Amino acid sequence: MPEARFRIKRWDPESDEAGAERYDEFTVPYDTSLTVLEGLFYVQERLDGSLSFRYCCRAAVCGSCAMYIDGRYRLACQTNVRHLTGDVITVEPLPHMPLVKDLACDMTDFFAKYEYIKPYLMRNSAPPEKEIPQSPKDRHKLDEPIDCILCGCCYSSCPSVWGEENYLGPHALLKAYRFEIDSRDQARRERLPRFDNERGAYRCHTITNCVEACPKELNPTEAIQWLKGAAVRRRILGRLK
Amino acid sequence: MRQETITEHEGGMWPWLFQRITAVVLILGLAVHLFALHIVDLGSLNYANVADRLTSVFFMVVDFSLLAAGLFHALNGLRMVLLDYGFRGGRRVALNAGLWVVGLGFFVYGVWALWPWLTA
Repeated sequence: MPEARFRIKRWDPESDEAGAERYDEFTVPYDTSLTVLEGLFYVQERLDGSLSFRYCCRAAVCGSCAMYIDGRYRLACQTNVRHLTGDVITVEPLPHMPLVKDLACDMTDFFAKYEYIKPYLMRNSAPPEKEIPQSPKDRHKLDEPIDCILCGCCYSSCPSVWGEENYLGPHALLKAYRFEIDSRDQARRERLPRFDNERGAYRCHTITNCVEACPKELNPTEAIQWLKGAAVRRRILGRLK
Repeated sequence: MRQETITEHEGGMWPWLFQRITAVVLILGLAVHLFALHIVDLGSLNYANVADRLTSVFFMVVDFSLLAAGLFHALNGLRMVLLDYGFRGGRRVALNAGLWVVGLGFFVYGVWALWPWLTA
């Protein structure tokens, strides 16, 4: 029976000292449909029950199982082992993130920053009785940014985040862009000051690691550049949006 | 995330916008500068010819724009880099003030160097 070898980064806060991560190797039965997440399930259920990792939907929709697999940011559930080259599959947690245990990272800051930019539709008029109409053209603008599943790959890969703990990060700014370009959103001064500052959009140096890392092939860098231009249009040219 | 006030992080738009504006000034100004120095024949390279060119208002404007744009672009670029290395709060204010002093100092020095032709 063919086999796949997994080399998994391990760290247990209860027994290991800080920074004392190690790699454990496991052998998993292989078939052509095996995903990295299924491999991790096999390890946890049959070989080492203490292995910790996050997952939920198993369909690349929830963003829970983002990991650093064979040196690239990937979702474990949508990474087929068949497509990985090399004899051993190296699985590591998202780099530059505080660890909880093994492959699970602490996402507290990540979601605090996400909430900070007010990621919801804001209206300054009473809600209509039915829906708020939106033209197909305006809806088309949202096609890309609404695909963000908040997996954390962009945030973990961004050197500006590594250097400045208060930088909002590509995920939060992409979400700000998603609502700022929404024709139904009427936020004026509510969201703008939250990204129009030096720990917001201007901390992005267009390094584009986020574009490279995104498993959904989105472009947070372009969205952040748009936000910088939007701040100028609104503050200097007096545009409402 | 440490809860810092928004006021501590206000600003950023003007430095960003001026970095782009000065970039355009630099590209156009450098083109004029290189064109005037290396392509247009101003006669032999001697003191009299260079001094003659410096008395023209056009070259004076180009030279001072280039000086101001170059200084702003370089020092603001340096500031952008340094801000990634822990310049927060008071240190950030000190960094901004220090760079303004350096920039204005070099600009005054540049103006002083061309002063005889400016007043000629």
